[in-house]
Formats: sequence, structure tokens, C-alpha cells
Amino acid sequence: MTTNASFFEEKQLDKAYDFRLILRIYPYLKPYRLMLSFSIIMAMAITVLNLSLPYITKIAIDQYIIPKTGHENDSHSGRRLNVDLSGHGVAEIVDRYPDEFVISGSLAMIEYSRLSRLEPDDLKVLRKDDLSGITFIAVIFVTIIIIDFILNFFQQIVMEYTGQKIMHDLRMKLFTHIQDMPVSYFNQNPVARLVTRTTNDVQNMQEMFTSIITFVFMDLFLLAGIAIVILNMSWKLSLTSFIVLPFVIYFSIFFSGRAREAFRIIRTKTAEINTHFSETITGIKVIQLFRQEENNYQKFKKLNHEYYQAGMKQVHVFAIFMPVIELLGIVSVAVVIYYGGMNVISDEITIGVLAAFISYIKMFFRPIRDVAEKYNIMQNAMSSAERLFQIIDNQEKDAPLESGMVHEPLLSISSLEARSVSFGYVKDEPVLKDVSFSLQAGDTIAIVGPTGSGKTTLMNLINRFYSPDRGQILVNGIDIRRIPSEQLRSKMALVTQDPFLFSESIKENILHGTRELSDKEIYSALEHSNCKDLVERLPDGLDTILSEGGASISSGERQLISIARAFARNPELIILDEATSYIDSDTEQKIQKALINLMTNRTSIIIAHRLSTARLAKMILVMKKGVIIESGTHEALMSKRGFYHMLNQMEKIA
Amino acid sequence: MKSFKLVLPYFQQNCLIIVIGISCLIVVDFLQLIIPRIIKWAIDDLTSKSVDPQGLVYYFSYILGIAVAMGGFRYVWRRCLIGMSREVEEGLRNRLFFHLQTLSAKYFDNAKTGDLMAHATNDIQHVRMGVGMGVVALTDAIIMGAAAIGFMAYIHVQLTLYVLIPMPFIVIGTRFFSKRMHQRYQDVQAAFSDLTEAVRERFAGIRIVKAHHSEPLETSRVDDISRKYIKQNIRLVKITSSLFPMMVFFSNISLAIILFLGGRQTITAEITPGDFVAFISYLGLLTWPMMALGWVTNLIQRGKASLDRIARILERLPDISDSNLSTASENLNGALSFENVSFSYGTDHKQVLEKISFMLEQGKILGIAGPPGSGKTTLLNLIPRLYDVTEGRICLNKTNIKDIQLSSFRSRIAFMPQEPFIFAGTIKDNITFGCPGLSDSDLIQAVKKAALYDTIQSFPHGLDTVVGEKGVILSGGQKQRIALARCLIKSPGILLLDDPISQVDTETGRAIMQTVMALPCTVIIVSHRLSALKNADILLVLDKGRILEHGSHAELMESEGYYARTMRLQEIEKELNDY
Repeated sequence: MTTNASFFEEKQLDKAYDFRLILRIYPYLKPYRLMLSFSIIMAMAITVLNLSLPYITKIAIDQYIIPKTGHENDSHSGRRLNVDLSGHGVAEIVDRYPDEFVISGSLAMIEYSRLSRLEPDDLKVLRKDDLSGITFIAVIFVTIIIIDFILNFFQQIVMEYTGQKIMHDLRMKLFTHIQDMPVSYFNQNPVARLVTRTTNDVQNMQEMFTSIITFVFMDLFLLAGIAIVILNMSWKLSLTSFIVLPFVIYFSIFFSGRAREAFRIIRTKTAEINTHFSETITGIKVIQLFRQEENNYQKFKKLNHEYYQAGMKQVHVFAIFMPVIELLGIVSVAVVIYYGGMNVISDEITIGVLAAFISYIKMFFRPIRDVAEKYNIMQNAMSSAERLFQIIDNQEKDAPLESGMVHEPLLSISSLEARSVSFGYVKDEPVLKDVSFSLQAGDTIAIVGPTGSGKTTLMNLINRFYSPDRGQILVNGIDIRRIPSEQLRSKMALVTQDPFLFSESIKENILHGTRELSDKEIYSALEHSNCKDLVERLPDGLDTILSEGGASISSGERQLISIARAFARNPELIILDEATSYIDSDTEQKIQKALINLMTNRTSIIIAHRLSTARLAKMILVMKKGVIIESGTHEALMSKRGFYHMLNQMEKIA
Repeated sequence: MKSFKLVLPYFQQNCLIIVIGISCLIVVDFLQLIIPRIIKWAIDDLTSKSVDPQGLVYYFSYILGIAVAMGGFRYVWRRCLIGMSREVEEGLRNRLFFHLQTLSAKYFDNAKTGDLMAHATNDIQHVRMGVGMGVVALTDAIIMGAAAIGFMAYIHVQLTLYVLIPMPFIVIGTRFFSKRMHQRYQDVQAAFSDLTEAVRERFAGIRIVKAHHSEPLETSRVDDISRKYIKQNIRLVKITSSLFPMMVFFSNISLAIILFLGGRQTITAEITPGDFVAFISYLGLLTWPMMALGWVTNLIQRGKASLDRIARILERLPDISDSNLSTASENLNGALSFENVSFSYGTDHKQVLEKISFMLEQGKILGIAGPPGSGKTTLLNLIPRLYDVTEGRICLNKTNIKDIQLSSFRSRIAFMPQEPFIFAGTIKDNITFGCPGLSDSDLIQAVKKAALYDTIQSFPHGLDTVVGEKGVILSGGQKQRIALARCLIKSPGILLLDDPISQVDTETGRAIMQTVMALPCTVIIVSHRLSALKNADILLVLDKGRILEHGSHAELMESEGYYARTMRLQEIEKELNDY
């Protein structure tokens, strides 16, 4: 099977990055700015805490673990520990090691390298203050990590909650926007695509949102924080260790590009593989009958191999990128050891500073490793964002109001008239030509005619799914383009050929789009629509959940439910597109009775496929190729012996 | 680990590569452990001031050298191990695809396309992650963990033991949370499917939504479901946002222990300051393996579960295949007969065909009529053995078709289903589908016979026009005629047509039927347009799975049954259209 990429890939975005898109997200963030700021403040606090940990270690080393060098005497004589002889028990210990200590006044000094010759217990006494210092440091350390843990938890929860809320708003905005599009929009855009926009694309944005916030407010902040801290400790050493940074940036950008390319190919190939798989599954009979298994397999194998190659390319890119970034990280550690070591020798910095530096440099490289991954997420989200806003920018409106909107609400439908209506879905291909008719409240008219004569289109115009190209449809003498569509539609009920039921309970399907009904009203709707038997037969009754597409009940029963739905709405005008599908005669009769009940005392327009239904109408319009060719009562039309008569003859035989 | 058999061959084939990969990984791990040692030496030297700039240059170059070597080895293991996992992925997917093609139509009736697609993508990806990252993380965790602990113990055993106290919590915690994480992740996925389905239904049923002006209601329903999705996400995040900070917390506790106990020991000169700093470095190296241990067990478990699911499909034997008796019959001509054939789609399903018997001579034409649901399509499906009969037998030239080699038998049959199957590709690809490598004149011939020639001429690229997925750019009638051309080009022995002219206009339909009638092969046509069947040699009328009427056109017209009634009806209908 030749697969053509252009069928799967929607058009590539011209510009990879467009920050205007990010700005467009801002209005959705605004309601949550308090939560967001809270989350960001917590993120910053976490960063500060994270930064403080190596610093505390540094203090521990410099203040307590390693004694200060004896600057004041001689910087080349090595490290020494000074002890105060007046301390409790100090003098006795110093006395015990006469060779090790040099006494000057009230102080005893010992060279650092000789400390290990003393008994640990003696050292404990000598360095009492250092020991209590280290305990104090450890307590602070534990306190900080507990706070860090708690802050981290809440930060993520708040962050996610806010993100989800924002995306919920965006999703609902998109959903209502699409829902308000005219019916013609749904004919041009496959449902699957619109669904992907409202679900997957919003999901992609969510990922971007979370990763941008973490990137900007945690990673960048952390990087900046580290830079500030280490610059403060020793600007010379910091700048030296930053030597590798330009390389890091260069490689990150270079590899991001490569990774993106590989990522894009993988996506395209995944789509192709999926298509090939689903095509094979749907076409399995034909493939087996034409014995194309081998051929088809070879094609799949080739595709799968291309996917493999794309995958290997990605492996290759990452196999270079990751080690290179790690390498640069270690290089900067090596630089710190060399240059920092020199500084320690020249006593410009302490050993604690050096140790802290090493910790900070390691911390510095952690977020950088993830840059490529984050870049991909951004990329993905950007294209989603672009597609989303494309839909939101489409300002087509369903049933737009013509100028001169009628302000008085439509109380009831007293008459309906079509005046020389012409219409075509495509230019120059008229489906309706100069159609006129009228009816008064309580009338029933039936439209009959062969398939393709324009019956369903006429119904679409009365519903305002489309507007006539020429002519007008008037309710109570007013062009329906001047009446708000919700007022008009709330007075109507549509019963269609293939009744669309939702995967909800029967009750919810019946109450669909209406106010709450009392049990009595529901009971009466069931009674009149002949649904009672059906509902009683089902174990869960009205609460029976209809599975996907309402498959658990027969198509005749689905029609009965759709009639019950019309009853529940108690409409003034019924538009009935009668079913053509094959239904057993028992159900058929039930449907007929239910329809008669529905039409009693209501204005109805029936698109009749069975002439027995048409006979119920006061007036019958016979349509053919978009034109009304005959009209009148059943008797009048029969005596005319024209097209309608012929239709009747035909049905008699059947 | 029965399903492990599936991936074992890949491990065996790539034995050398895996060994190289793992060796490199181990080398990298050890090199990584040496760096803290060098740092320790440097710090110790600096503390005792026993180092000169020359010495620092040595330390610098040691670290640099190790870093470069690590980079190289890292590249090699990534290529070897991750690359191998991609190979496993490719191989498994090929195998799954190949196997699926051998399964019968019955299997696909019961399997959901979505599920099969999930096996082809998600499950195979999980296996890849399991064998790729799974192996890497496991090796890494064991080697690094063991080595880091070893080095620490070398410095100070007692301190090492103290530092290790929080580590088991990391492993247990990771396992505990990631199990729940997996569960909740699936809940999130389920909520996401609900959301998708809710949105899909509303868009698919947009006409009802609009006609009933129930937009506000739909919005609130979707809003509810979207909120449920948020709720599930928050439940998941409660786990993830405890998991990662928890791991950091425990490793920081270890750090606090080093700070407190190690600091004290440094003060009392039991360990050197260099040891102290190196200890901190080793701890950093130990945290990752501990996290990985928890993570990797889940990764491997998930991969195994996916592998099991794939194995279940692969274990399924094709239920329609050659039997022991099957022979590559040399004579695939002769009469086709149904002998008391009954069929149902499953034991608990009702009978679709009951005791059907008829005999069709070679080269004759059989027409089948009947109301919808009477079993016509099922009857056609039984002939090429898309399904096997439940009772009775179907014979070709007095041989039960079950005893004829399936591939040679099917090669004699051309079948045009009711819903023509068109795949993304050119029209030419679609027509020559069954027999690639035919000459262009054969192709044109078939196209003309299917009354498709003029239509194709009107396309910008003619036969090379790309038709898109499921033939989106074609009308129903055009698709039917492409499917017909596909059958005709095969010059089959038996031609099965399921409602072949339902979507073409009368003129074209007539032209097509003339071609079909003139074909030398045995033909069975199902049609709702009885005029198409008029010239058939035998006619069958099915109703509820039984033969209601049979005979020639003239005989059936005389008997005044379903056939005669419908025939007249359709004649009037035609008159109506010409009115």
C-alpha cells in the first residue's frame, strides 16, 4: 500500500516558534493569577532552599570541620588548630601530648596533620564547640529538607490544579466555540479532527504549560540562583567555570534541532504505521481474498523499518547529546578543581567554598540535560496551540441574525411559509429550486418524492442549519433569519432518519435538552411514544445506559426513544424525517402509532417515505429534483393520476 | 515468563552487542565512581597544603581524561542497548502484523480495532522501554549501587551503614507509589477516553444538539466530564508530587546523617575532610540507583504485562487454514455446490443460514435476492472461506473446499464486497492490488469493463490519482467500480459480487451487468436491483436464512412471490424516475 504522508500530516507550521501564541494564552491565565503567583512564589522558595543546602555544607566544613588556617602568623606553615587552655579538661589533654602542641600564652596550637595522633575522646573534648556547631548545622539541615519536602508537594499540587483549571477553561471555550459553528462547518471538518482539537491538543498545551512554568520558574531561577551564589563566593572561579557555558548553549541548540527533526519523522512514521494497521484491519477480508498478505506485509515491513531508522536516528542524536552535555559538566568540575585548587593554595578561597562549588556545578548541569526534551514538548504544544487558535479565530456563526432582529420573543408558531426558496450546498448545483408552500398552526404537511429530490435539504433550511440562497422562510410572517435561532429551535422537535442517541441513560436521552419533567410527565411521554413496553422489558428500565451508538437496542427501538424525546420537549412544530431502514412490522406499527400521537394537535412537517404516513397529512407536496411538482390532498393527487398516483401504485405492490 | 520466549531470540541474535553495551555501561559506572576519588585526593592535598599547581594540573587532566572516555563509552552503550530495544520493537511489530493477517474474519468481528491498534503501538512501546531502559537502569542500579556502597565502605564502614538507613525507604517508597501511580494513571486515561467520547458524540450528533437547542445542556455535560478528568489528574498528581520529593527527602536525610556523623568523625580526625567530601559525592551517585530500582521494577513489570498481551494474540491459531487433507488441487474448475449448509456467527447467535442447498455449473450465473438481513452477504462470505460453515459442506468439483489448499483456492476467486475497500494510494495501485505486474493494456481493459474509463480520464492524474485514506475523494459509485475493476483484472474462476451496482446510475449499471454476463467464469451476484439479476441462469430468493424461491427469471415471475412483486415495484420506480 503506497502511503502518502500528506494525508496524515496536517500542514507543517511555517514558523517553529511563535511567541505571539504564548501571549494568546495569557487571557486564560488571568483568572488564576493569584494561584499562579502563589505557586511561583513556592517554586522560588524551593529553589532558595535547594541552593542553601550546599551552602550549609560549606559552612559546616569551613566553620567547624576544618580549622581555620593561622593567617596571622605564617601562611606557609600549614593548618593549625588553636585551643583555649582555660577550657574544661583542656589543659590535662594538652599536657598528655607534650610533643604535639606549641603553647603560646593561653592558647595551645597543634598542626592539623598531627590531629590524628590524638585520641578521638581527647579531640572530642578539645573540639567541643565544633561538635555542638555541627549538631546545630545538622538540625538546620533537617529542618530545611522537611520544609523543602512539604513545599515541593504543595507547589506541584497547586501548579497542576491551576494548570488543569486553565486547560479546562480553554477546552470548554473551544467546545462551545465549535458547537456554535454552523452545520456546514461540521460537513467540512471530520468529527475526529474536531475531537482531537478539544482533547489531545488541549492536553499538549497542558504539558507545555506545566513545563514552561517549571522551566522558567524553577530551572531558570535555579540556574540564576546558582550563578549568583557562586559569583558571590568567588567571582573569579565562577567565571572560569562558566567557560564551558557557550559550548553547552551551542550544543543544546544544535542538538535540539536534530532531535526535533528525528522526533518529527518518528511522529509521521507512527501515524503511517497506525494508518496501515487500521487499513489492514478494516480491509482484512479483501486482503485475504486477494491473497495480498505477503505483499501487504512487505509494505508494512518497509514502513516499520523506516520507523526503526527514524528511531535509531533519535537514539544516535541522544547518544551524542547526553554524553556531550555530561562531558561538559565534568569538564567544568575539572576546571573548578584546578583553578579552585590554585585559589585554595593561594588562600583566596577556603576548602568549604571549593566543596560547595563542586556541588553547585553539578546542580547547574542537571536542568540543562532536559533542555532538548523540553524543547520537544514546546514544539508539540506550539503546533497544537496554533491549531487551537485557528479554530477559535474562525468567527463563522451558526444561524447569524440578519439586521433588523425581532425583539419581541417568539411566543408561538402560528404560521410557516416558504417563499420561492432556492438553495444549493455547492455553487451552481441547486438542490432546491423556487420552492414555496405555507401552513398554519395545527396543519400537517407531508413531503414525498424519490431520494435526492431535496426533501432533507428543505428540513435543514427550516431548522436554520443552512440559509436559503434566494427566497425566504417565514414564521408568523417574519423571516427566520431575523429570529434568534434558539427561540425558533426551542419550539421545534426534530425526529430524524437515524436517531442519534447519546451513551447515557434512556431517561437522560428522553429529557435531552428539556427542563426537568415530573414522573407523571415522563410516564405520559413513554405511554404516548409506545416506549413503555421497551422500558419495562429492560432490567434497569429508564436508567438503562445505552452503549456506544446505542447498540444495545434495535434500530426500531431507538426510533421509539427519539419519538419519546420529541414528546418530552412538547414542541409546537414537529419536523419528522421518516426512517427508510428495514424494521420488523410489529415495531413499525408501534412507531406509526407513536407518530400519530405526536402529531395530534401539533404543526408537523413530515418527510414521508411511506405513503401511509403521508396520507395523515392535510396537504402533500410531491418533490422531484428540487422542485415541487404536485401538491394537494391525497384524494386530489390520486385523482390527478400523476407522479403521486404512480408512487402509490408502487407501494401497493410492495 | 512464558512470553519472554518472544524477545529471547533478539537477545540471542544481539548477544555480542548486548555484551559490548553492558560492558561499556559498567565501565562508565566505574569511571563515574573514580571522579569523587580524585576530588577526595585533591581536597585532602589541599587541606594539608601538600600540593603544588603542577599537582593540580594532574588532577585536572585525570578528570578530563576520564570525562572524555566516559563520553565515548556512553555513546557506545546507548547505541548498543537502546538500539537493540528498537530492533526488538521492529521485530515484534512485524511479527504481530504478520500474524494478524493470518487470522480469520471471525477474529476481527469480535476484536475492537482500537484494542488491536493499542497492541501495535502502546504495548510494543512498553516492551521496548522494558528491554531498553529497563536493562540499562537495572544494570546501572546494581553496578552503581554496589560500587558506590563499596567505595563508601572502604572509607568508613560504620558511617556507610548509617548513611544507608534511608535507602531502603527509597526503594520501597518508589515501588509503593509507582504501583499506585500506574493505577491512577490508567484512571486518568479512562477519564480521558470518557472525555473524548463525550466530545465526539456531541459533535457527531450536532444536528440534534442544534435542532433541540440543547447547546447549554451539552456544554454543562462536557463541563462535568472535563471536571472529572481534572479530578483524576489531581489524584495522580498527589502521588507523583509525593513520590519525587519523597525520594529527594530520603536522600537528603542521608546527607544530613553524613553531615552530622561524618562531620563529627572528621572533627575527631577519624576520617579526613577529603573522605567527608567524597562521601557526599558518593551519596549523590547512590541516590539515582535507588530511585532506578523502584522505577525499573515497574518498567519491567509493565513491559511484561504488554508482552503477555502480545503473546496472547500470537498464540491464537488461525481458525481457517489448510487441514491435513488439503491438497493443492490441480483442477479448480467444475460445479460449485452447497449441501445443506447452515451457519451462525457464534454458538449463542441465531442461525443466519439454514440448510441451504444448490448447485451451480461451471460458467453459469447465479443471482441472489432477498430482503435485508436474509443472509445473502453471509452466503457469499462462506465461499472464499472468510468463515467456515457450521453444518453441511460447500464443494467445488465435488471436493469439500475445506480440503483444498486455501491459497490456491482463493487465488481462483474474486470478491467484491458491499462496502468497497479502497486504501490510500493511487487508483492504479488499488486496481492492480491483487495482481501486481500486469501490463497497462490489461489494466485499461479492466477499467473499461468496469465502466470506469471515462471517469478516470476526467481525473487530473488519471490512473495515478492518489485517492486518500479510505478513498475520500471518490464517490460511492466510483469506489464500487474500482473494486469491480480490481476483481475483473484478476480473471478469476469464480466471481462473487455483493450488490455491485447499488451506487451507480442505471446506464452505468446496465453496462456493467452486460460485461459481467459475458464473462466466462462462474458468477454469483447479490443485488437489490432485480433488473441486474434478470439474465442470471438461476435465481435464489433468500428470506431469514432460508431459500424462499428458486428458478429462472421467467419461472419466478410466474410464481408471483417476493421476486415478482419486487420486480414490478422496481419497474414502476424506474418509470417514476423517468417521469
